[in-house]
Amino acid sequence: MITRFLSEVRTSFNPFSPLSKTARTFLAQLPPDARSQGMVIKSTILPRTSTQKPELAVKFKDGKKLKLDLATMRSTEVMAEVDRHSRILARKEELSG
Amino acid sequence: MPPRIRLQTRQLKVRIYHHQIPSQPCFYASLATATTPAPPIEQTIHSVSPIARFPPTQPPSHKPPEVRKSQLHREYQSLLKSSPLILIFQHNNLRAVEWMGIRRELAIALRKVDAELAAAGQKDLYADAIKIQIIQTGIFASALRVVEFYNPETTELPTQHPSNPATASSAQIPNVKPTPEDSRLAHGLSRRAHEAASDRKKKLDLAPLLSGPIAVVAFPAVSPQHLKAALSILSPSAPNFPAPKRKASPSYHEPAVQNGIQKLMMLGARVDGKAFDQEGTKGVGSIPGGLDGLRAQLVGMLQNMGAGVTNALEGVSRSLYFTMEGRRYMMEEEEKGPEEKKDVEETKAE
Repeated sequence: MITRFLSEVRTSFNPFSPLSKTARTFLAQLPPDARSQGMVIKSTILPRTSTQKPELAVKFKDGKKLKLDLATMRSTEVMAEVDRHSRILARKEELSG
Repeated sequence: MPPRIRLQTRQLKVRIYHHQIPSQPCFYASLATATTPAPPIEQTIHSVSPIARFPPTQPPSHKPPEVRKSQLHREYQSLLKSSPLILIFQHNNLRAVEWMGIRRELAIALRKVDAELAAAGQKDLYADAIKIQIIQTGIFASALRVVEFYNPETTELPTQHPSNPATASSAQIPNVKPTPEDSRLAHGLSRRAHEAASDRKKKLDLAPLLSGPIAVVAFPAVSPQHLKAALSILSPSAPNFPAPKRKASPSYHEPAVQNGIQKLMMLGARVDGKAFDQEGTKGVGSIPGGLDGLRAQLVGMLQNMGAGVTNALEGVSRSLYFTMEGRRYMMEEEEKGPEEKKDVEETKAE
């Protein structure tokens, strides 16, 4: 997953729900120095009884916001979705030098 | 027929050379008398002891016991059985330096708790036994299934083991085969345990937590003080579990430790075999005064209840007394009543 262009990641999930796996995998894929590079990472852990669906909100460095419904998406789909915009940014960066 | 080559009688003599080295005396093996020790009487009157099929500490297991997986499975089972309180964390790409710092801070905080407890005269000092450790998640989940769902009855394994020297050779020992198929084998890695745990209809409460990178903190007893110290280091939250102050422990505020703690997420806990979420765990950690405090609360409650009971029981007799008194008073009044009225009438008549 390309994480260079992410500026903000917000998730909320209930770890006792099997649907939370995607959100947790996403968090585990962020690089170890993400916070020191200026990425804002906020994760809210909901109580066990909560029926709220897991959420993931990603903000890119160009200001684009992406909100993903993790209840229906698999981890690979989330990655593909995030990478789609990251690749555009990567190409722009490459062309501008 | 005489020999063709004539040999002189001198040449037929066997020569023995005496090469005597001054420092080493010469011995002839041929001259030594061979002494074979007589067999001990035990051996002559008993037959050979029965054959050990497997060592008593290594009963045959379902999976090959020498692989890392099996050993980890066994280790996790014993961890789960021996620790009633286990915190479950997700760790997101922590670096070695960060782990080192977190482990150090945790140890320092727990030792502080121990020192306080020791000063109060308690003997439940667990600081050295509590550590944060990364686990192999899948194997841990499997071990948890075995611990939860497999309750072996009294094992029928023979108490007399062939390799035990105390076992008489004439003892009738059932033939425990060194194969995992034997149904008498009931340890945690046995085939029976595997079959009990592989029943997919049984669901674990903690199963959804056990995926991805997981680290656990295992406590040898449910000790709220130690839990509180561990929580205030690993997932500090403002009112009940404050992080140590910068003055009190400057090493906690090093960037490596702080970065590491940001990447640890507490998911839940297993307390006495039950799954707890974050809030429940914090509830356990915020019991004032630990288990002794709870006991004191219970004693206080029972004492209050005793007082209440005596009050209630006394109350019945007291209220009976009051009603009887009241009734007596009323009857006296009634008896007096008409006389007074007569007096009043008499006065009117006058």
